[in-house]
Formats: sequence, structure tokens, C-alpha cells
Amino acid sequence: MQQQEIHKFLERYFHANGCEIIDKGPGYMTVQLTIDLDKELMNRPFYWHYLEKTGGVPNPMQLTLITNQQLAPAHIKGEVIHFGSPRLHQIFHSARNLAGYIRLYENHREAPGMQVPLRPWLGMNVRVSYQCDRKRDVFKSIGLQLINGQMVESFHDRLLGMSLTPKIPDYSFTLSPLIMPGSGVFRVANFIKSVIEQEEHLWADEARKRWQKDLSLLEHFYEDAEEKGESYENEKAALQEQYEPKINISIINGGLFYLTDSAV
Amino acid sequence: MTVQIGFDSAWQDEFLKRIDDDGPWGNWELYKLAVEVENHTTIPDFEGLQAPKHLPNLTPLPHQLEVAKQVVESMNGKAILADEVGLGKTIEAGLILKEYMIRGLVKKVLILVPASLVSQWAMELNSKFFIPAVAQRKSYVWEQCDVVVSSIDTAKRNPHRDIIYSLDYDLIIIDEAHKLKNNKTKNYEFVQNLKKKFCLLLTATPIQNRISEIFNLVSLLKPGHLGNESAFYENYKKDSRSLNDDAHLKELVNKVMIRNRRADTGIEWTKRHVETIPIEFSQAERELYEAVTELRGEGDWVSSSQFSVMTLQREACSSREAVYFTLQNMLKRQEQPSIAFQEQIQYLIKKVEAVQQNSKAQKALELIQNINDKVIIFTEYRATQMYLQWFLKQYGITSVPFRGGFKRGKKDWMRELFQKNAQVLIATEAGGEGINLQFCNHIINFDLPWNPMRLEQRIGRIHRLGQEKDVMIYNFATKDTVEEHVMKLLYEKIHLFEKVIGDLDDILTKLEFGSIDDHLVDIFGRSASEGEMRIKMENLTSMIQFAEDMKEGGLNAATGNS
Repeated sequence: MQQQEIHKFLERYFHANGCEIIDKGPGYMTVQLTIDLDKELMNRPFYWHYLEKTGGVPNPMQLTLITNQQLAPAHIKGEVIHFGSPRLHQIFHSARNLAGYIRLYENHREAPGMQVPLRPWLGMNVRVSYQCDRKRDVFKSIGLQLINGQMVESFHDRLLGMSLTPKIPDYSFTLSPLIMPGSGVFRVANFIKSVIEQEEHLWADEARKRWQKDLSLLEHFYEDAEEKGESYENEKAALQEQYEPKINISIINGGLFYLTDSAV
Repeated sequence: MTVQIGFDSAWQDEFLKRIDDDGPWGNWELYKLAVEVENHTTIPDFEGLQAPKHLPNLTPLPHQLEVAKQVVESMNGKAILADEVGLGKTIEAGLILKEYMIRGLVKKVLILVPASLVSQWAMELNSKFFIPAVAQRKSYVWEQCDVVVSSIDTAKRNPHRDIIYSLDYDLIIIDEAHKLKNNKTKNYEFVQNLKKKFCLLLTATPIQNRISEIFNLVSLLKPGHLGNESAFYENYKKDSRSLNDDAHLKELVNKVMIRNRRADTGIEWTKRHVETIPIEFSQAERELYEAVTELRGEGDWVSSSQFSVMTLQREACSSREAVYFTLQNMLKRQEQPSIAFQEQIQYLIKKVEAVQQNSKAQKALELIQNINDKVIIFTEYRATQMYLQWFLKQYGITSVPFRGGFKRGKKDWMRELFQKNAQVLIATEAGGEGINLQFCNHIINFDLPWNPMRLEQRIGRIHRLGQEKDVMIYNFATKDTVEEHVMKLLYEKIHLFEKVIGDLDDILTKLEFGSIDDHLVDIFGRSASEGEMRIKMENLTSMIQFAEDMKEGGLNAATGNS
């Protein structure tokens, strides 16, 4: 992520959370936090607890973030933000945390007077992690139409091309799902699993070989010992944790999307 | 073979609940941002290092990056990092730790370091690597914090020990791991029973280890890598002169150990200038030294009193205070000292009292005034340390003491004082390890340790990455004393200063001559006379010379074969 991208990202994040950017210039910004975002980011539970008990006037903090030290004027004091900074990762985490679940409607432009049916879709963005003593991740976005069971990939990219709104637009009605959301999640999970199962898993075979090799070394080491003892069991368990290949599917976010027939 | 696939069902439960409750629903813009974050933070490849992208304030050196990559990609996260002193092993360990944390392979981390380095490690991980490492001070820290730095002596004691054993660590880092070379110690046993998924052992001096020490260290990291105990000794100890076996062992060890040398790094190191400064005793000092030396012939009371004449001689070369302190102790140790013994001690104390000035201290003062910059003085004796502090103060020179026995906080504080307020730091031997003082470039060795490895560690405190100036080393040696003998035989004849000592030890180990350390203990500790000492010393010198010839010969043979 370039510094410029980070700057844009932060602006959008604060804007989306209803915070006012009270001062900004090249390479920096000062944000007036809302009460909610102060609680989210500033880690001062005692202050907020005290305030709620005493009924005082809340005074959320201002935060100055410097995204480019060369560009920012010298007198600006603030936190320097870069791709590895804990503050940025806290904000990353917060974005994921605050928008885990969503429901949106397509803001269609059909002629007024016509009632437009909107079909329910389940959208899920997931991370698939392939893990042994090393790890790699793959991002997948799956959409499932909850009436006919149609499944599409890169669903998120399709959504990005549409106009979406949290309130149902005028002259629209939603069709009831035939597939319940719970079983929809189940279908998506099974779909992803079946795709994974068809992949070649050379990495896992390699990891198992490394595991087996270290395991046989361990056996050899304790060969002469009558009582293998705790350290042997520990080592054995540690080798399993180190090498055992595993695939984990975790959900970043997802929700219900009501879309026109022509949308997907 | 299929791979087990896990699916996180927590999301689903909450999702269904929100459908039932009709919300609350997230904001579309934030939802999109979360996906963008995901795209920036997924790591699509098993290979490659992510950590450098996260560390804009740190520019790792090429050899450090190479080490990190090698450990993660081809050593499966278990390695002995054995770079020479001052090449940045902490940076390497930090890079590896960071890499695993970014990839989500490591969360819970235990870092065991010497007590004097605990705060420094915690501070460096926080400031250089943005890793929230916490120095262990309260017992709840073990459970509440993910990355904990502690000394091994604290960790191995209860209640800490039980808590640590009950936790599952993903990565264990042990600094100064050469202290774990003996598998009969409590520390070794403690570390052996830790569950080590990923593990880094850091040491600057594994090469001086005997073959058994290498075996113990590697077996801690990866049991069985060098075979089991009986098989290992059968193969290597009895038959270790067979070069094929050695080459094979070396290859095995290299699979779990990385060692960069200064010369390999391609970095331009600042130079070392070593100057030997001969010291002339005053008349009174000479008399004290002679009086102490004569003790050797005075019957058996000296040898039975645990204090060797050699110790007293060395002390006489350092300061009268050091001698006095030892004499007092000798008196106290005897429950019922004989009259003759008391008289003997009194006679020596008279000689001590007759000494009015310290020739070395005078010389040191002169040097410090000329240097007019920060200076570190190393001495082996606490009494000398105290005396020097007092002495320098008489001349308006500020100094701070430094000892191994200081608590962690005090060490940090002394280092800080030295950097900001004082001109001189006076350290005793035990204080030599584990502080980094690269803002200073002058060392005075007030008296010399009789183990070149220790000397290397002293110099390593300042001659390390971050040192911008040439390093000046002044060695004091009093003329016509044991000290001068050591100086001549050990340091000048063998040119150990300019050499990397590891090389020599390496060769000696291969030839089964034993480590230099052991030889020196024998020569200086057990010799009955200076004559015997000289003969043994010459023997060692010729062994070293032979070893060096062998090394060159070996190189020639190797090139001849290829």
C-alpha cells in the first residue's frame, strides 16, 4: 500500500464513520473523532466509564495522522502512519469489525409506476488460508441467489459496479428467499470446499514429508531411552503443530443483497 | 491425501441473529474498505518476506534479510543464528518474528535473554519492529501478553515455570544460547521441556564449543538431527579426525545453523587500533608484587587457602585495593588463623599500605584527558573499579560503575547516565556482556582477561553495527609481571586481536586439542611455576601455529581437488 493510498483510505474510513476532518494538507490530516470512534480507537475505557457514571459532557479526541513526513509541515505533530504501523492495523481491524454484516438494495432506475421485484442474494467474502509451517491466503467472493441457487464467483466485483442503498427504493418489492440464509451459508461453504478439494495440494504433501522426516529423527533420538518422557511428547506435539497441513476458511464479511433480475 | 478444511462458523451464527433482529447492518463504504484491506493484507505466496514492507524505519542489511528468508523458507523456522558479535542477530530474530506474525503463523511468543538485556529487547522490538513485546515483571504478564521477554533464571523458577509450561508458545527465542551447552543443567532441562513449534537460538560463540556442546545445542532445537547420543559419539568423538566425517557433520550442522562472519557481510567495518601500553611499577608497587610472588615458596598454607598466588599477582598488577580485599578475605576464611599466617598477612598489608600511587591509574588518567571523549575501562576487580571511580573523581572526571550483578533497571540507568552525563564507564568482567555501547569508541583494558574470547566480547560491546568511528583499544600491561607474559605470549605472538578467534577455536576443536579457554585455565590456573606456565604456553602457541598451517594446507588441498 503506497502512502498516497493510505491517505485516501484513512479519509474514506473517517468519512464513512461520520467523522469530520477539521484540518488537512499535504501528507497529514486532523480528525475530530465521534464518540463511537473514540471508543473504537483510543482505548480509554476508564474515561468513558467515568463519564457515563457522572453524566459529564463527552469530549471525544482529535487525532492527527501524518501519512507523509516529507510533505507535512514541520509544525504538525501527530502519529506517523505507514503500512506497518500499529494504528493503521487497528483501523484495518476496525473496518472489518464495523462492517461484518450488511443488507443492501439495488438502487435501480426503472420507470416510476412499475413495481420492480428484487431478488435476494447471499454475498460472502472469504479468506482461504493454506497453512503448514508456512502460509498463504486466497481471497474469494461468492454470491448465491437464494431463489434458484445460482452461484457466482467474484461477486464483490460485480457489486462494485452497481448503485446500492441501505433503504429499499421506491416502487420495489423483495422476493422471499426459497433457500434460507442459514442453508445458503452451508451451500457456499460446501462450494468452496469442493473447489479446494479439486486443487492439487503439493504443498501439503511436501509439508507432510518434512513432518515425517523430523518425526523419524525424533524417534531415533529417543530410541535408546526406556522412558521417553514429557519432552518427547512435547516435541511430537510441536511437530504436528508446526507441519500439519490445514486449510481454514474464514469470513471477512457478507450479507444480503436485493438485486434486480438484470443485475447479475 | 486430502487436507483437513476448517470453516469458521462464528460469522454465520451472528449473521442469522442479525437477520432475526433486522440489523444492525454495516455501512457499505466500510464494507468495501474491509475488502480492500483484505486485498492489501492477503499474502498469496508461501515464499518471500513480507516484514520489510512493514518496517519503513528499518533498513535491514542484505545478510540479515538473507538469514530471515533462509530460516523461514528452508529451515522451517528452527535455527541457530550464530553470526559473529555485532552483526545484528537481534535484527534477524526480529525480522523472522515479524514475518511469522504478519502471516498469522505466530501469536504467542516467549523470548528468553540475559537479565541485563530484557528491557533492551523489549524496547527494540517495540520501536524497530512495532511488535508489542512486554518485559516480564509481574506474573500475570505471561498469560495476558502475547510477546513476553524474560530472563531464563526468572522463567525457570516457580510460579513462572508452571505457568509457562501450561501455555502454548508458537515461537521461542533464546539469546546467548551458548549458555545451554551443558545438558545436565537446570536451564537446559527447562528449555528442553518447552514445546518448540518454531525456535531460534542466538549465539555468538558456538564454534568454541566442543563437539558435545554442538550436539547438545542442536538436540535442543531439533532432537535427532545429529542422531541420538550413543550413535553420535560413536560416529564423531572416537573418530573425529576422519575428514569425511567432519565434513558430513559440518553439513548437518549447517542445516540448522547460520553463521555470518564480518568478512562475509560485505559491510565496511570501522577499523580496530590496538595499542599496548607498558606500565612501569613504582618502587613500592614492585615491592608488593615481589612480596606476593615470594609466597609461592612459603610452605603449603597458601595453596590450602583457596587463593592462588597467581590471583594475588594479577591483583597486584591491578590495584593495591584489590590485593587488600583478597588478603582480608584470606584472613576471614581461616577459622583459627595461626600466628605465622596472621603475621604473613600483616606483612603483606604493610606492603599494601606502603603503595602510595597507582601507576596504571595515572596512565589511565593521562589517556582519558588526552582522548577527551567517552571511554570504557574494563577491570576484573571490583575493588579496582571502586578505587578508579574515586580516583577519577579527584581529577574532576565523571564516571559510572557497571557490574553484571546490577539489576536490569540499574543497568539501563547506568548506560543512560554514561551516554548523557558521564565521560567514563568502569565495567567489571561480568558487566561486559549484554550492553551495547556503540556511541563510545575507546576501550581501556586496565587488566587483561586471560581468555581471548572474553576480550572479544568486551570489544564487541562497541565494535558493532552502528559504530561509526574507528575503535581504539588500549591494553595496559605491567612490565616484568605475569601480565606482561600473557600479553607477549597470548596477545602479541598470536595476534589474536586482529583475528577472528572463532576461526582458531574451530580448528582446535577439529584437531581435538580442546578449546583455548580450557588451555588457558590450565596454564594460568594450575601451573606451579612460571617456568611451567611458559612451557605450556609455548606448547599452546605451537599448537595454534600448527592448526593455522593445517588450515592453509586444507584450503590448498581443497582447491587442488576441485
